[in-house]
Amino acid sequence: MSMVPAVLATACGLGGAGAVAGFVLPYRLRVPVAGVLTAGVGVSGGAAGVAALVGSRWSAALPGVLPLAGVHVAVDALAGLFMAVAGAVVTAVAVYGIGYAAGHGAHGLGSRTAQTALPLFALTLVLVPVAASVSSFLVLWELMALGSLLLVLTEHRERSSVRQAGVWYAVMTHLGLVLLLAGFALFAAQAGGETFSALRAGAHVLSPAVRGLVFVLVALAFTSKAGAVPLHAWLPRAHPEAPSPVSALMSAAMVNLGVYGLVRTGLDLLGGGPAWWWLGLLAVGGASAVYGILQAAMASDLKRLLAYSTSENMSLVLIGVGASGVFTSYGDRPLAALALAAALLHVVNHSAFKALLFCAAGSVLRSTGLRDLDLLGGLRSRMPLTAGLFALGALGAVALPPGNGFISEWLLLQSLIHGLQVPGVAVAVVLPLSVALVALSAGIAAAVFVKALGVGFFARPRDKRAASANEAPPLMLAGMALLAIGIVALALVPGLLGDGLDRAVGAVGLPGTGAVSGGGVRVRLADISASLSPLWVVAALTAAILLATGLARLFARRRRRANARLWDCGGGAPTPRMAYTATSFAEPLQRVFDDVLAPEQDVNVTPVRESAYLVERIRFQHRVPDRIEHRLYDPVLRVLAGAGQAARRLAGGSVHLYLGYGFAGLVVLLLVLAVGW
Amino acid sequence: MSGGLYTQLLDLACGAFLLAAVIVLWRRELAAIVRVFALQGVALAAIAMLLGLHEERWDLIAVGLGVGVLRAGVLPYLMRRALAALAADRGSEEVRETQPLVNVAASLLTAALLTLLAYAVAQPLTALDPTPATRALPVGLAVVLIGFFVLVTRRRALAQVVGFLLLDNGITATAFLATSGVPLIVELGVSFDVLLAVLVLQILTTRMREAFGTTDIDDLRELHD
Repeated sequence: MSMVPAVLATACGLGGAGAVAGFVLPYRLRVPVAGVLTAGVGVSGGAAGVAALVGSRWSAALPGVLPLAGVHVAVDALAGLFMAVAGAVVTAVAVYGIGYAAGHGAHGLGSRTAQTALPLFALTLVLVPVAASVSSFLVLWELMALGSLLLVLTEHRERSSVRQAGVWYAVMTHLGLVLLLAGFALFAAQAGGETFSALRAGAHVLSPAVRGLVFVLVALAFTSKAGAVPLHAWLPRAHPEAPSPVSALMSAAMVNLGVYGLVRTGLDLLGGGPAWWWLGLLAVGGASAVYGILQAAMASDLKRLLAYSTSENMSLVLIGVGASGVFTSYGDRPLAALALAAALLHVVNHSAFKALLFCAAGSVLRSTGLRDLDLLGGLRSRMPLTAGLFALGALGAVALPPGNGFISEWLLLQSLIHGLQVPGVAVAVVLPLSVALVALSAGIAAAVFVKALGVGFFARPRDKRAASANEAPPLMLAGMALLAIGIVALALVPGLLGDGLDRAVGAVGLPGTGAVSGGGVRVRLADISASLSPLWVVAALTAAILLATGLARLFARRRRRANARLWDCGGGAPTPRMAYTATSFAEPLQRVFDDVLAPEQDVNVTPVRESAYLVERIRFQHRVPDRIEHRLYDPVLRVLAGAGQAARRLAGGSVHLYLGYGFAGLVVLLLVLAVGW
Repeated sequence: MSGGLYTQLLDLACGAFLLAAVIVLWRRELAAIVRVFALQGVALAAIAMLLGLHEERWDLIAVGLGVGVLRAGVLPYLMRRALAALAADRGSEEVRETQPLVNVAASLLTAALLTLLAYAVAQPLTALDPTPATRALPVGLAVVLIGFFVLVTRRRALAQVVGFLLLDNGITATAFLATSGVPLIVELGVSFDVLLAVLVLQILTTRMREAFGTTDIDDLRELHD
């Protein structure tokens, strides 16, 4: 008897109770009770996921729950992996969220709406991977989108940009839903059934063209959810404007489900496909990895930076999934399994460090009211714990040892590099390019997080709000500590995940690789002679750092140290305005990638009235707009607005005209019927 | 009643029903239009009662009687009252449909085309069960279309009311012919609905005349956003 159904039922009960509690309880009780219940949802959902990873499977049909189609649920290791990740993130963020919302007023995240939506959103995050029919999946998917939309809009009274972000998010997510509906409806109609098992069984009946169309429609929707270009525009708007716990949930749990959907549909239900699907996915992933991290490098808004970094990391995952698909279509299944394992491991790693980073950014925002890195600074002394946790998260994000992100990116690169043994011109061109793009994005990511950490937390505060920051309350620190434990575990002993990862990869029909097995200490690749021992790497690094600092101290002792004022060239003491800002730090990168980023600069010189040579005022404006948004979205929006304006002319005001539309519609319909019969 | 006589009478009633709708398009005097509408009500009642007699269903005859009272008696009476009020107030200008959006000759041609369309569309329905009643089914559809056409092209509010009622007569006739009688309760509900709609429209017409001095509904153009 599997424990999965009982645990899932518990999660549903807790989520429902949390929503009711958030709705009926007064403000003082609302936040802790709903928060604890949300954490319960996370724990039970995560437990179900872990149970599935350990090897239990469960499926059931609940015909009475939804009209007509009923609900079909199934849990396998792939679903379990995403449930476990979502559950862990939800648990930690719920603890953090209690601290975040408590004592902050009954508006914003503490409001009735937000506290009602939060448990439900958490529940859908855990439940989406459980769905095993198209209708159940889409219902849960839409509930998740609506829940997150409500939560994004939480602070709409404070800032008008929240409303704008909400509109963008609502439109994009529903565009995705429409694509999903179209794709799945086509798939289900051709395969002769809408449960996943029927789709899996009927996938080979589809003609190649229909399969391709289904994949393109569904992949567009899922990559949009994962934040890949060109349908990424919602992500850098919605994530920064949401309250930070919500940003963490969206960035660390919700976007993952885009990857889940893609793996589930592309590799499992459609059973792989021709190479062009996956080469296309590789191209999208590669382009948006570099684009996302470049935009992150240019961003001076801390949460916007993190949002773009999410886009980049999800794109790396997409590269892994795409490579896995390419290898499958060429029949190299062990390599495909390795690439998919790398992608899934990166999902786990990214969730851990990105949740922590968003939570730490939320602590900064809550304490100072600032998101702009150009105004922050000097937080290390005011908020030492938050700074340390942010540094830990940043270490994971830069893909350098000993961070946890390093291991999955190393695996990803290994799979790409060894993919060269696969024959084919396209592969020979695309894979080295992907390696280069992954390496480039990893390099820029290092610059991005050096900027975020160095400019935001070190140096001197550039604003008095940053100067008077206070450390976050204990519950927030506790939530972040949970995530930090996860990061350290993932960085030191990723092998603990090994068997579960193998089963998740096996769930889509690929052989397990044992990629990260080896007693939890070593990462060894089964068919490739490469291995990595994270623990030894950490030990060696620690020893090297100790040695370096120790030697420095040893030699420094010989000379006497004298404390003196910093030499200032006679220009007076340095002020905080002289320090590196986020913008100035990013300037060299911006010069290098000038053609890609196309920054806009404006210099307005106002001369004194009497003389053209004496300047009264110079105004300098500098923006790095999202170029894809400019080129791709603005024309579409303009055409839509134009069509809307033109359509106003249809409504002339004459009642006869309106009646005439109805009459003409009826007659045309009848004519079509009469002729078509 | 013998089958032949029944068919003859049913066809006669349906012909009168369709002819009345066409005459509504032809006449300009609102008073005449209302008279013709009352005649159509009689024809509709006759259709219902013929069906009832043929199938020996007394409830259908009762429904036919009710329909007759409502559509040949009450509704024309209400409209005539509104018309009298208009005539007393503003003279002959308001009681004629002086300038329909489509002139009379073109209207009659269109009615012919719409009838053809109705016959073409109803062909598969008739083929399902070719009894005399279903063979007359296109007449109901044609009246629906003609009623809609009256709504679209006539300017006076009262002519609009007649158009709306033609539409409803057509729907009722189609229902009778296609299903050999709708249940009493449904017909009661529909009739009550129509009665209320006419009452409301009558009040609206009066208010319009008071507010704008005319019942030409194109003068409501100002109201759009």
